[in-house]
Amino acid sequence: MTVETGRCWVALQDVMDPEFPISVVDMGLIRGIDVDADGVVKVTMTYTSVACACMQWLEADIRKCLQELDGVGSVAIDVVWDPPWSVDQMTDRGKEIFRSWGVAPA
Amino acid sequence: MAVDARERLVEKIQRGFVVETIDDMTEEYLHALIQTLTITGDTELLSVPALLTVYKQAPTLNRKITALAIMQDELGHAHIAYILLQQLGVDVEELLYHRAAHRWKNPYAFDFGLDNFVELGAFNALYDRAGYTLLSDVGKNTSYGPWRRALVKVDKEELFHLRNGESILREAVRDPERRKEVENAFRWMFIMGLEFFGVSDQLKSRTTQLDLKLKGKTNDQLRQEWLSKVVPFCESIGIQVPAHFDEASQQYVLDFPFPCKFDVERREWRLNEPDTWDNVIRRFKARGPENEAFVARIQKGYHEYERLRRSS
Repeated sequence: MTVETGRCWVALQDVMDPEFPISVVDMGLIRGIDVDADGVVKVTMTYTSVACACMQWLEADIRKCLQELDGVGSVAIDVVWDPPWSVDQMTDRGKEIFRSWGVAPA
Repeated sequence: MAVDARERLVEKIQRGFVVETIDDMTEEYLHALIQTLTITGDTELLSVPALLTVYKQAPTLNRKITALAIMQDELGHAHIAYILLQQLGVDVEELLYHRAAHRWKNPYAFDFGLDNFVELGAFNALYDRAGYTLLSDVGKNTSYGPWRRALVKVDKEELFHLRNGESILREAVRDPERRKEVENAFRWMFIMGLEFFGVSDQLKSRTTQLDLKLKGKTNDQLRQEWLSKVVPFCESIGIQVPAHFDEASQQYVLDFPFPCKFDVERREWRLNEPDTWDNVIRRFKARGPENEAFVARIQKGYHEYERLRRSS
């Protein structure tokens, strides 16, 4: 089970935020991943804003990415807004990438 | 004397000198920079009226918000170019609101309205890809420091636009009706994209932009770079375009005479009728069908509010 979850996290490193070429994981959008016995992956996630223009786009990319993994059945995405996203939720790597582009991550 | 100054600057730039102020420039450099930035600003700004012709046809609210976010980015990019021009002493108010439509420097492809939302996808996938190719090169190579720094953000946003276009097209080809729309869009828009990069290297006698490092790569090198992304993408969605990779020369090769004649009325390329670049430039200068209407749309508000501004 843990292995499955770990593989999902690694796989989502390849799903890029459409507006900035940085992964949804490094962006801090993924709050949790659970995999049940039937291979259903439940992704709990948020967006940087409630008016994010790319919600459907991102969800489609996340679904496609996870469904390509061996043993994954369906993918359920649960969007949560509390606590709201902030730059604090970005990974250190994400913040470093932002800095390299001259974008202040705080 | 002037020749010496030019040579000195070219040599400094080739050694990595970054131009920061007008004092660092020769007349020629300033002139070429203003010309290049005007093309850039006009291209960013005039993409918006074309995109506006169909954004209301977005199939979902999310797609519509994305289209609007992209237009907002384009206005921001135009703003960057015009601010840089202002700092170089250009009268930007005159440039934006009093310039005749035919003197705008946006690509010919932007003088056309779009027919449907799939064409907005093709616009993003082909033309924003061209913009991205051109501006990434400038961002990596330009000797003008203020522009290079500003392009870091622009580069990321253009990538967003072209990925949006590819996302729209990937979705569209799954539906047989809309697949036809994608085929029709590429039939006229693919070659428009090729023309973005300008005349072929063999015909370009002046290399001011390269000598002064306003850009790094030649027109044909940039066209190859664009093809190296666009052709594989088209193959991945099963859309045929008249170009293929040639193993022997390790280059993308066009399967028709380029440039070729274009029927403006029917918006059709005549793939068996070769044309000259002189004629192409003539067609560019004659402008496309929506040039006047699109520029009028940009200038309209300024003139309508003129009285209000004066009375306040």
